[in-house]
Amino acid sequence: MTDPKKMKKNKEKSEKIGVYICYCGGNISDHVDVEKVREAAEKFPGVAVARTNSFMCSDPGQELIIEDLKNGVVDRVVVASCAPSLHENTFRSAITRAGANPYIYDHANIREQVSWVLHGDKATYKAEKLVAAATGKAGLLEPLDPIRVNARKHATVIGGGIAGLKAARVLADRGLEVVLIEKTPFLGGNAAGLDTVAPLGEQCSALIAELAKGVLEHTAITVLTRSEVVGFNGYVGNYNLQVKTTLSSSSAFDKAAGHVVPFEGDNADTPTEQNVKTGAVVLATGFRSYQPKTGEYGFDDHREVLTLPEFIKQLSEVNCSGDILELNGRKIRAMAVIHCVGSRQIPGIHEEDENGYLNEYCSRTCCSSILHAANTVKEQFPKTNIYDLYRDIRTYGRGQEELYDRAARNRVVFLRFEAGNSPTVSANDDGSDYALKVTIEDGLTFSEEIEVPVDLVVLATGMEAGDVSDLVSMMKLPVGTDKFLQEVHPKLAPVEMSVSGIFLAGTAQAPMNISEACNGAAAAAVKTASLLSKGYLELDPYVAAVDQDLCRGTGACVDACLADGALEMIDAETENGTEKKARVVPALCLGCGACVAVCPTGAIDLKGWSLKQYEAMVDMIVADELIDI
Amino acid sequence: MTKITPDFAEELKKYGDDTALICFNCGTCVAICPLVSESFPRRLIRYIQIGARDRILENADDLWKCLHCGLCTQTCPRAADPGEVILSLKRFTVANWRKSYNV
Ligand SMILES: Cc1cc2nc3c(=O)[nH]c(=O)nc-3n(C[C@H](O)[C@H](O)[C@H](O)COP(=O)(O)OP(=O)(O)OC[C@H]3O[C@@H](n4cnc5c(N)ncnc54)[C@H](O)[C@@H]3O)c2cc1C
Ligand code: SF4
Ligand code: SF4
Ligand code: SF4
Ligand code: SF4
Repeated sequence: MTDPKKMKKNKEKSEKIGVYICYCGGNISDHVDVEKVREAAEKFPGVAVARTNSFMCSDPGQELIIEDLKNGVVDRVVVASCAPSLHENTFRSAITRAGANPYIYDHANIREQVSWVLHGDKATYKAEKLVAAATGKAGLLEPLDPIRVNARKHATVIGGGIAGLKAARVLADRGLEVVLIEKTPFLGGNAAGLDTVAPLGEQCSALIAELAKGVLEHTAITVLTRSEVVGFNGYVGNYNLQVKTTLSSSSAFDKAAGHVVPFEGDNADTPTEQNVKTGAVVLATGFRSYQPKTGEYGFDDHREVLTLPEFIKQLSEVNCSGDILELNGRKIRAMAVIHCVGSRQIPGIHEEDENGYLNEYCSRTCCSSILHAANTVKEQFPKTNIYDLYRDIRTYGRGQEELYDRAARNRVVFLRFEAGNSPTVSANDDGSDYALKVTIEDGLTFSEEIEVPVDLVVLATGMEAGDVSDLVSMMKLPVGTDKFLQEVHPKLAPVEMSVSGIFLAGTAQAPMNISEACNGAAAAAVKTASLLSKGYLELDPYVAAVDQDLCRGTGACVDACLADGALEMIDAETENGTEKKARVVPALCLGCGACVAVCPTGAIDLKGWSLKQYEAMVDMIVADELIDI
Repeated sequence: MTKITPDFAEELKKYGDDTALICFNCGTCVAICPLVSESFPRRLIRYIQIGARDRILENADDLWKCLHCGLCTQTCPRAADPGEVILSLKRFTVANWRKSYNV
């Protein structure tokens, strides 16, 4: 254990640490004796002042710090308050406003880590320790400069569905060069298979045509169809994508009516590869429709059982008059639609897929879409009876609940089933000429078993994550348990990915409808544009640095490094001639410290989180026992 | 086991009702109805929706307990007019009970 009085004599350490402790209006002070922590902090080595405020993040709170810095009372700052993710930037910019370097600051989280989880003496004790540790580190903090890297004013959008088209145009309108990469020969994605769309009933092909026109006519956008990303490296602002364009084999693609084909007849003879230098990437790779298993609600066993996309397609091709729907020459006098097929699956109730997965989420679009389809049928063919078998009706959002209301007024009959007691679809054996019967234990009819003879069953199949495993491994992308790509924070960073400079647009992220896909795409595009628009980026300076004098060129750090390209061995000219030395590429370094742990000579260390600083923190944690005595 | 009869709601139109299918089975009318009879009047409205003709005739007694106070119609969130549906069901029952039900 180190005697804190001795530590005081360390010349390198700041003697002017300011400690600012927050009450958080009771959030902290109801459990932590904030004044007691202040009294303790005043006695910590190097501490010049310790102050408290009911809200450190408020203007008067920040003013305390600014005044002390301006008056030369302090030259290092410790704030003890909420989690740094909330207000680290607030306090950094206050320090900058005082004319000081923003990296002379350390943070003690005494709310989430203390007052929200501990009470009474324990809470005060832990708060003291965290503040002690922070002052220990703060004494050794050095001014740092953010890493400045040039950023290309160029963005790449992967995926040419609704979301990709929207994102590309918004990016171009913000003054960026854009490359849009689509693997099929068509633009429009899954929406191209839809006819009119919920909630308002616009023709989807018209929406796609409008978006595609906006993209194709914009001179700043290059569209590469039949193309895929096969290589990826670089760092935010400076990514390199290897893009492979294959020879057109349109026959391999089933073109839907709503697709836009930008380069018809443009058949490259040989596959070509090109390098796309870009600043950021928007992922708009979309979803795929759930394909029911054989036998699931009679699927595959009965040709009268269709998925929702199949039904939408057939319905759009219908060309019959009269008041009963006819599909492929068959009169549909009665039809059943079944909700939540392949969605909202429950462990122990539903059958897992071959990889042990269940789709536990709601696909969010199928309720509206199937009610829209039911209304389309009823309003044109009122004598076709429709039975809607649902678990819940989730027609959320503006104009969507009206679809449900309208369906009831169109005389659609609703029946309700429980997840553990799904309806069954089987061949009809009652002697009538209905092909199928659906049997349901109907919650609305006091759990009576009800038999519904029908000519057609439509399964409201949901969405599944698209297969982007190649991109996931190339770009090291986080994937949720639902297999969709995962954002940093569902509320506060909803289109950002943890890999800097990579953003999410549309259903690559989660099931969403067209409006939401456009919202997400526009958000991702604007985020991308604001990231790149200055032409340079400032990254946190918490990266590894090599002391060239101590480095003996063992390369242990390079082997330990997790980030491709962050560490390299170079031939350095020294007084001993040419020697191997390690060099850090700051923009690629994650600041993880794996290299620090393996270096035999201690030549490599992290700026802002050095080993010495850690030691000082530990010293203070153990030393404050002494202070208490 | 009850089999759905598709066009029963159509048949009922001639007795006055054209709102039963708008009902979304929330049960508000049951809660407000001063009669204690279980699930009345929703039960009978539901039977219209699925076309359970026999069930209606079996349970027709309930219809004559209705006070026609109108509370159900006043409170129904869907404007399904349950009070009026009951009147239609009475007309239907009067026209049909001898034919289809041995009393
Ligand atoms: C049955 C059904 C009915 C629906 N009905 C409605 C409705 O009525 N109203 C409504 O608002 N919404 C509806 N939706 C939702 C709507 O379809 C989606 O919101 C919309 O299509 C999402 O667009 P997207 O661009 O996110 O994805 P997608 O349409 O899937 O587009 C993704 C694109 O990326 C391409 N791609 C994928 N991977 C790669 C790769 N690695 N490299 C290059 N390109 C790639 C794909 O080829 C595709 O073109 C419905 C959905 C379904 C399933
Ligand atoms: S939107 Fe409706 S049908 Fe689709 S999964 Fe959700 S609840 Fe089920
Ligand atoms: S800190 Fe991590 S990412 Fe950076 S050079 Fe060291 S091992 Fe590589
Ligand atoms: S009108 Fe009849 S059914 Fe409606 S609340 Fe009054 S008594 Fe009950
Ligand atoms: S209150 Fe109206 S909607 Fe609710 S159950 Fe009664 S009739 Fe139906």
